[in-house]
Amino acid sequence: MSVQVEPKKLKWVGQRVRRKDGPEKVTGSLKYMTDYQFENMVWGRVLRSRYPYARIKRIDTSKAKAYPGVICVLTHEDVPGFNGFGIVIPDQPVLCHDYVRCMGDAVALVAAETEEIAEEALQLIEVDYEVLEPVTDPEEAIKDSAPKLHPSGNIHSRVHVKNGDVKKAFAEADVIVENTYYSPRQMHAFIETEGGWGILEEDGSLTIRCPGQYAFRDRLQIARVLAWNPERIRVISNPIGGGFGGKDEITVQIYLALLALHTGGRPVKIHYKREESVIAGIKRHPFKVTMKTAAKKDGTLVANKVVAFGDTGAYASLGGAVISLAIEHSCGPYYIPNVDLEGYCVYTNNGIAGAFRGFGVNQVCLAIEQNIDMIAEKLGMDPIEIRKKNVYHQGGLSSMGHRVTTSVGTWKTLDAAENCELWKNREKYKANPSEPWKKRGIGVATSFHGIGMGFGLPDYGAATIELLPGGRFLVGVCSEDIGQGNGTVFAIVAAEALQCHIDDIDVIQGDTRRTIDSGTVSASRSTYVGGNSVLAAAPFMIKLLKSTAAEIFKIDVDLVELRDGKLWAKVPVEGKNVLTYADIYQYLYEHRRETKVEGHFMVPKAEKQIGNNVGMPHHVYGYQTHVVLVEVDTLTGETEVLRVVSIPDCGKVINLQGLEGQAEGGAVMGMGYTLYEDTIIERGIFKTTNFTNYILPTFKETPIIETIPIEEAEKTGPFGAKGIGEVVMIPIIAAIVQAIYDATGVRINHLPATPERVYKAMKEQGVIYRG
Amino acid sequence: MRVSEIELVSPKSVIECLSYMAESDRTVRLIAGGTDAVVQMKEGKGRPEVWINIKGLKELRYIREEADGIHLGPLTTHTDIARSNLLKSRAEALAEASWQVGAEQIRNMGTIGGNIVTASPAGDTIPALYVLDAELELQSLTGKRRIKIEDFFLGPRRTVLQKDEMITDIIIQPQKPNEISIFQKLGPRRAQAISIVNVAVKLAMGTEPRQCLDGKIAFGSVAPTVIRAKKCEAMLKLGTLTDEMIRQIGKTAWKEVSPISDIRASAEYRRDMAGALLERGLYRLMKRWESR
Ligand SMILES: Cc1cc2nc3c(=O)[nH]c(=O)nc-3n(C[C@H](O)[C@H](O)[C@H](O)COP(=O)(O)OP(=O)(O)OC[C@H]3O[C@@H](n4cnc5c(N)ncnc54)[C@H](O)[C@@H]3O)c2cc1C
Repeated sequence: MSVQVEPKKLKWVGQRVRRKDGPEKVTGSLKYMTDYQFENMVWGRVLRSRYPYARIKRIDTSKAKAYPGVICVLTHEDVPGFNGFGIVIPDQPVLCHDYVRCMGDAVALVAAETEEIAEEALQLIEVDYEVLEPVTDPEEAIKDSAPKLHPSGNIHSRVHVKNGDVKKAFAEADVIVENTYYSPRQMHAFIETEGGWGILEEDGSLTIRCPGQYAFRDRLQIARVLAWNPERIRVISNPIGGGFGGKDEITVQIYLALLALHTGGRPVKIHYKREESVIAGIKRHPFKVTMKTAAKKDGTLVANKVVAFGDTGAYASLGGAVISLAIEHSCGPYYIPNVDLEGYCVYTNNGIAGAFRGFGVNQVCLAIEQNIDMIAEKLGMDPIEIRKKNVYHQGGLSSMGHRVTTSVGTWKTLDAAENCELWKNREKYKANPSEPWKKRGIGVATSFHGIGMGFGLPDYGAATIELLPGGRFLVGVCSEDIGQGNGTVFAIVAAEALQCHIDDIDVIQGDTRRTIDSGTVSASRSTYVGGNSVLAAAPFMIKLLKSTAAEIFKIDVDLVELRDGKLWAKVPVEGKNVLTYADIYQYLYEHRRETKVEGHFMVPKAEKQIGNNVGMPHHVYGYQTHVVLVEVDTLTGETEVLRVVSIPDCGKVINLQGLEGQAEGGAVMGMGYTLYEDTIIERGIFKTTNFTNYILPTFKETPIIETIPIEEAEKTGPFGAKGIGEVVMIPIIAAIVQAIYDATGVRINHLPATPERVYKAMKEQGVIYRG
Repeated sequence: MRVSEIELVSPKSVIECLSYMAESDRTVRLIAGGTDAVVQMKEGKGRPEVWINIKGLKELRYIREEADGIHLGPLTTHTDIARSNLLKSRAEALAEASWQVGAEQIRNMGTIGGNIVTASPAGDTIPALYVLDAELELQSLTGKRRIKIEDFFLGPRRTVLQKDEMITDIIIQPQKPNEISIFQKLGPRRAQAISIVNVAVKLAMGTEPRQCLDGKIAFGSVAPTVIRAKKCEAMLKLGTLTDEMIRQIGKTAWKEVSPISDIRASAEYRRDMAGALLERGLYRLMKRWESR
């Protein structure tokens, strides 16, 4: 059963639709969960480790417990169930009992009458530590001599993909480049830091109101720690002040649950200060990538050898999956027949790394795109020409060796780049810097990003549609709106399928009681999976509408037609021959009948797995090319991005405005990664403390961004759509670095390319302004 | 001291404020825009028992020209300064410095008095005040004194201000018709940035092309306090300010600075940037002068 809408007749899909949650977010009238206060509330705080690595000898909470205004103080002894969490392997203690492995580790919880009392009580908890030498360099960490941070050793995971004969290919190649690239520890820096509410309800159940990216999985992780039936826990995870992957893992849900059990039914609130969020929150994995790439004289890529180290910090979270995705994408959207790709996910005492928009692909994109640029330069080839020559096409083989049967738009995005105004007039743009000591350059790069969970991992979605009074609909998809506007996408899909106005669709997300499990909000999947789930539910709603109409008309259901959002009798009937959705609701209501339907969707998979690597390959990918113009001040090393052309292959565009929002936000986030952002940790200790020294781009750094969508329809996607949330921030990273090279002749392989790094490289190479 | 237990009083006049400062038996601290004081309070630093809120003292917010110079009230905000036509034409470096403080919201709240008393080596208005020969009027219940800005700072966050004293007036010397000035700042980004290095330059130009008769240069963020670059200043008068001469002056700057390394920049980079910003500032000044 499926809904068929002729492309020509699409009313909402592909239009510029205003975000349903736009006005309240823009005006600030929307309250995030952490904005609320309650009369009888109490404040929760978390005691963090004092050292990056130490053994806990003793914890004494007696003084804190006796402190006036303190309601409870909890340690590992108060954890009723399993003392750990983690999406893949739960190796992170809820409350540490033997070792602390990073500054973000939680040792105790306090609930108190005021935030200040809670803070003071933390100071009264005595913890004796035996301080240990921290492990801070991933390459040192994998040596036998390094202290083992976990019983299984410091290598959390190793990924290896080998195809063809790399040795032979390198021996026979005409040009080889090899470089090592270092990437920063980017912070999600969401507007709403981690926080929420825990409430023990009068019926003994627990409500956790906490922004997250997968309410049902959060609920399972909470239940495991409490040793509770998950059904007795309700998680409300929407609305969210930004996620970007940083709220994929458990943040404070479990702390809230534990504290709520000890506050006598009073709601307990935790809301991290920015400083605490910096230390406790997960970050993007810093990578060291060594990449050797070879080509023939005509520019054909023949071999790629990669060794990548990802620093996952103290706990696994999604580190293994990040490394796996990085390796899967380490050859770019090209076909390279001979590859040897190796990735290590390594434990250290450097905070904790986990999911973050791009999920490992950002780090490797820089490497492959830079190497290709250098090859092109050596061969005297145009950077777009060499890429066009090597991309794989739909039906062709990827560098993983699997046949890509889904839509592939890389070539078209490159072609659009070649024909965009900025690229065509690049010499003119470069010729006129704003001041004589400034230099301009243009860069181009391309990348791709898998959609959904990849081979071997369960991946499904589900949606409900409920007919409401007045003939409106309530669409429920648990997948949260972490800022990308997926709620509006679900509404567009539903309005299209149900032939109604978008204003007649309400959307509910992120509530384990009111929505059904539809998987994570991650992996660029929610438009694709959620959209398909709504499309799976819609026919059941249409069936309900039609059969009810047939009952009212007293005719056979086949004689009822749905047209222009109304139900028509194709044959003469007694009374009216047309019914509205409101009429149907009224009838169902009067007869006490169900008005809600469900739809379920299984994400299609590739044919077979790549080697032993679970999650590899993906079946559907989004593709993206960026062109950028930069201006570098040769006196200071400052880089200004002046213009960006963002060319996503997103399949069919569902909401043009939403797509542009993603393209623009992604470009700025990618620019921040390339030029400004890094969470600096030295010997396990955070040197970056808050937004005073974590440098995010502001509106003043934001360039002119033009979006040119390439609609390479994917037949398994809703109306042909694919996911786009992550890839929109990726190739811009390499494009900026290449533009800096084009401007100055220096290649920056260590990001971020701060003014100091660019200046130093220019100084070493004698790039000096001489009037 | 818990933040929630700190009291706040709002005097109605300067005299009332000074009496409170002189007579209170509790620790007091002035708060103007609060953009430094509140940040410090949150960090647990400098929490008084009583805040004296002076934001409402309208008599301390003004920009006016008098016979002895331009007078600025300490409560004049960065926005007031950046938008003042008088300052934009007769105290360019100061108007530019205020324009580059933080971002809109901070400029609307933050005051010049607060910027001075915070005494950060990176404070953006301070180098501009140096080259514009600023003097400060410090007042207490028992009297007033007038002091050169260069004698005000003792070290990072330390000044000669006494516990019962406040700044009640700031006097700068407006540029003469043959004078031009500029402020240059290097931060990790273009807004909301603490200066890695900043510099203010004022030149008195002669009648010959690029002939400089005299000049003042003050650097921030490269020493414990803002400093004058006297060797570079002397070089300004050595001959025509050709691009080559400007480059030589820039090169000399690193001899005048003694920066430190911190999370924002290494000492080496800061040292090079002192020269680079001075060089850039002089190029821009020459362009400005030649297009007059
Ligand atoms: C996000 C952000 C960005 C910033 N960016 C910059 C920047 O780019 N450049 C820069 O230089 N600074 C910057 N600052 C620092 C600050 O905004 C400025 O120094 C501002 O001028 C301080 O003024 P205020 O009125 O807010 O001072 P307050 O915080 O009210 O006071 C600061 C200190 O001065 C004292 N004080 C105030 N007025 C008087 C007076 N009349 N007499 C005696 N003592 C007085 C107070 O007691 C206090 O000790 C930034 C701050 C923030 C939070």
